[in-house]
Amino acid sequence: MITDDKIDVSSRRRILTIVIIVVFAILFLRLYHLQLLSYSEFGKKSEENSVRVVIKEPVRGYMFDRNDRLVVDVGPAYTVTVTPASFDTNNLVFLSSLMQVDPAVIKERINRGRTYSRFSPVRILRDIDFKTLSKLEENLYLLPGVNYEVESKRLYPFGKCASHLLGYCKEITDEQLKRTGTVYQQGDLVGSSGLEASYETFLRGEKGYEFISVNSKGQLLGSLEEGRRDIPSKEGFDLILSIDFGLQAFAESLMTKYRGALVAIDPNDGGILAMVSKPDFDPAIFSGVTSSKVWTKLNTDPDKPLFNRATMTRYPPGSTFKMLIAAAALEEGIINERYRITCRGSFRFGNRIFKDVHVHGSVNVVQAIQKSCDVFFYQLILKVGLDKLNEYGRRFGFSKSTGIDIGEETSGLIPSAEYYDRVYGKDKWTQGNLVSLGIGQGEIGVSPLQMARYVAVFANNGTLIQPHAVNSIRNKRTNRIDIIDHKEIPVWLNYDVMRMIREGIRRVVEEPGGTGSLARISGIVSAGKTGTAQNPHGADHAWYVGFAPFDQPRIAIAVMLENAGYGGTKAAPIAGMVMEKYLFGELRRKVIKPVSAVIPRDTILLKTTEKGEH
Amino acid sequence: MFSYFKEYFDFRVLFICLALVIVGLICIYSATFDINNAANFHRQALWAGIGFIIMIVISFVPLRTLQRLSITFYFIAIATLVIILVVGSTVKGSKSWFGLIGLGGQPSEFAKITTVLAFASYISKTDVSISKIKHLFISLGIFAVPMFLILAQPDLGTTIVFFVVLLPLLYWAGASNFILVSILVPILTAFGALLGTTYFIIAVAIGAVLLYIFRENKFTVAVAFGIMLAIGLSVQVMYESMHVYQQKRISAFLNPEADPLGAGYNVVQSKIAIGSGGFFGKGFLKGTQTQLNYIPEQWTDFIFCVTGEEFGTLGASIVLGLFAALLLHALRVASISRNRFSSLAAIGIMGIFGTHIVINTGMSMGLMPVVGLPLPFLSYGGSSLVANMIMAGLLMNFYANRKEY
Repeated sequence: MITDDKIDVSSRRRILTIVIIVVFAILFLRLYHLQLLSYSEFGKKSEENSVRVVIKEPVRGYMFDRNDRLVVDVGPAYTVTVTPASFDTNNLVFLSSLMQVDPAVIKERINRGRTYSRFSPVRILRDIDFKTLSKLEENLYLLPGVNYEVESKRLYPFGKCASHLLGYCKEITDEQLKRTGTVYQQGDLVGSSGLEASYETFLRGEKGYEFISVNSKGQLLGSLEEGRRDIPSKEGFDLILSIDFGLQAFAESLMTKYRGALVAIDPNDGGILAMVSKPDFDPAIFSGVTSSKVWTKLNTDPDKPLFNRATMTRYPPGSTFKMLIAAAALEEGIINERYRITCRGSFRFGNRIFKDVHVHGSVNVVQAIQKSCDVFFYQLILKVGLDKLNEYGRRFGFSKSTGIDIGEETSGLIPSAEYYDRVYGKDKWTQGNLVSLGIGQGEIGVSPLQMARYVAVFANNGTLIQPHAVNSIRNKRTNRIDIIDHKEIPVWLNYDVMRMIREGIRRVVEEPGGTGSLARISGIVSAGKTGTAQNPHGADHAWYVGFAPFDQPRIAIAVMLENAGYGGTKAAPIAGMVMEKYLFGELRRKVIKPVSAVIPRDTILLKTTEKGEH
Repeated sequence: MFSYFKEYFDFRVLFICLALVIVGLICIYSATFDINNAANFHRQALWAGIGFIIMIVISFVPLRTLQRLSITFYFIAIATLVIILVVGSTVKGSKSWFGLIGLGGQPSEFAKITTVLAFASYISKTDVSISKIKHLFISLGIFAVPMFLILAQPDLGTTIVFFVVLLPLLYWAGASNFILVSILVPILTAFGALLGTTYFIIAVAIGAVLLYIFRENKFTVAVAFGIMLAIGLSVQVMYESMHVYQQKRISAFLNPEADPLGAGYNVVQSKIAIGSGGFFGKGFLKGTQTQLNYIPEQWTDFIFCVTGEEFGTLGASIVLGLFAALLLHALRVASISRNRFSSLAAIGIMGIFGTHIVINTGMSMGLMPVVGLPLPFLSYGGSSLVANMIMAGLLMNFYANRKEY
């Protein structure tokens, strides 16, 4: 016991006990006062308590093409919502009959929303038509917890045009929701492919909040304090694209028969002028409700319509690759302008014979490009070697992604010594593996986008441009337009090297004996190169790369047609017409019906041991 | 073995703490259910586990060691408070969160404990007597230093806790009624000063009467009266220099209904939440006020609303009952301890718990101003929970060592 200071512990304890009891008595009394005596008052208040926050969806940003044509629009869509806490499940069948959907679908959506919040509305059906909407309106008073909201949906004035490039929005997945934190709510639409995905943060805008008074059944009583506390939503930013939608639509019309891709690019700044991937899909099917049936159909279609062939395919480039081999050899001093070989129609390496299509006789590098002489390049690649091939491949932007702003793309492949070691085993491969690389066959894999960028290097005299589909972003609130800067990388090619190669590909189109004459544009000198990529699984893939006009190029192009046959007959005319349309604004020539017999086959590999990358 | 435990292990504190922590976890789960999938719940559960281990460890530390170390801990706490005043990051307008190795910790939570221990340690020295003016001032100084450091953060709630805890401590230490009154009356006048001039004059008058009744000699009465006036007037000045949000909180307490969607909003919503709970409550996860998140960050200072709304009078009474039992038990430990240090420390701990409980529940029920004080064991917050577990561990320790002189 405490003895100091004559403290009477028990009396002090008694007094403190009394203090504690009194204080707690007050607390208990207050508790009973609130919960038992004033229960009816507070119970009513809590039922009426009514300040509810309604999220106002912002209007998603628009997209305009380079000529300021509206290409991705926004329109209203009515979405039915259910607040799980106030919804009477007995009404499920009634609601589903009004909406004409399976009750199980609605039930599933409500249950999914309930796990996030039972008091915030779940979107159960998007983009209902006016008839359904009016039926719902009439019966809304019978359906507590059911409501509808106006959302925006995508409209496409150009229809299916550029669907892969523009991309689409989908409802946010649970996984994305977890990753992104508080920006999104269940049921929000987010860009999930193409520009919609890569510019999501600019397009989406900012959500607004409206404070409204509702009664306990969730019926609207009016806005709180005349909306003084509301936070308006902020519109998303607009994208101004580099695409010319007139050209895009024209290019698509030429490609409808094919599976393949076309990339037209401005060789001066890297802006994509047109990007076609066929077969395609209608992006509008994603803007409202996407039924799982449609989704499954698109996903399982053997032609893979959702797959962007312009950026994601990996085919050997065929003879279109010969400029790169020539550039490496010339730049490294391995050959010069005077170097000639004599083509006798085939090339023997060890016990293997690599054939050429024609006997070209004595050719120099310019002629070899012009005539697409395989024997010349079979020999040349052996001099250049794998390491230099890889070095120059990277310089021209191969075997790495281009960094284009539309999302997914392949990096492609140029085989290296390490690659062969890994695939065939160390010392299990020979220089023979190299030979077919010389004519762009074998394991080389490139995308049409990479090819367009590559041919643009010869168009702009040595700059590797940054391909991009968006030129600038417009903030509608401040009317400020931000132009996106793109870095360009010099390829560092000697002037003479560039001159020789350019001359070679000019002759491909313009001189007799060139393989690209069907790409010729009347009145304008252009350059290009055909390619026919051999395909062990079926017919050859047709390639054409080129640019025009020759002296001050405004357009560079790559066309790839799967299993279409020869580049010179199938791909070259399409490329020629697209460039012509772009340069003149109209097509001057009559559409040329390809007559394959007259056109020389540019490259065919008769004997192969390697399997190409497909 | 069992009989030893029965004799020396404080099952009562253990039971009360566990019960309160469990109720708190349930309420935190409910309050954060819709907001972040109850992420706060998982973090709090982790802290509860850590706190529990610390509590058990502390209950077994030899009493002498505790007493010896208390002065050291006190100075460490002071140093920490000084550091955060200088470099501390500002959270919610207050500097008390200490970003230490990525852990948010609130040193003022621990400063309360170390101050009480240091006070008890000092007073229990054989040559120290509270009735000697020098010793009284030193013991007041032990409180004053951390109190002003915390007030400077500014953390009004914790400062009030220091002030209130001082009263039972001095009382238990054997201070005369005059000293207690001298400390009490400045609080009265300060409070009056906040309410307005009329209330201030009334408070001064009551103070003067009280001082006269418990007078010891004219000189000390004059000094105490002077201090009272000075504090009352300086509160007026302080109020002017306060942050706007603090001024708003005070005026919101004075008239919460005036601006139901402004600063008084929390109190109104909190009363509605508790009031609408009724006797049995709305049920777990069924409280509309809680689930609709009418009260911002309900899982911290307004956790009692969740209890009141979802578990009704029944649940809230159990919680209040557990708190009352905890305080009465602390008082019992203080009374039966033969050691003066542990006896005083137990009273201090009772005071800390009691102040938090009364201010927090009182605030939730609209009886007290909105002061940012967590409800012991229930409110979300790692450092607060661990600090409470430490105090519970100390009580267990004092109980086990009650027969030691």
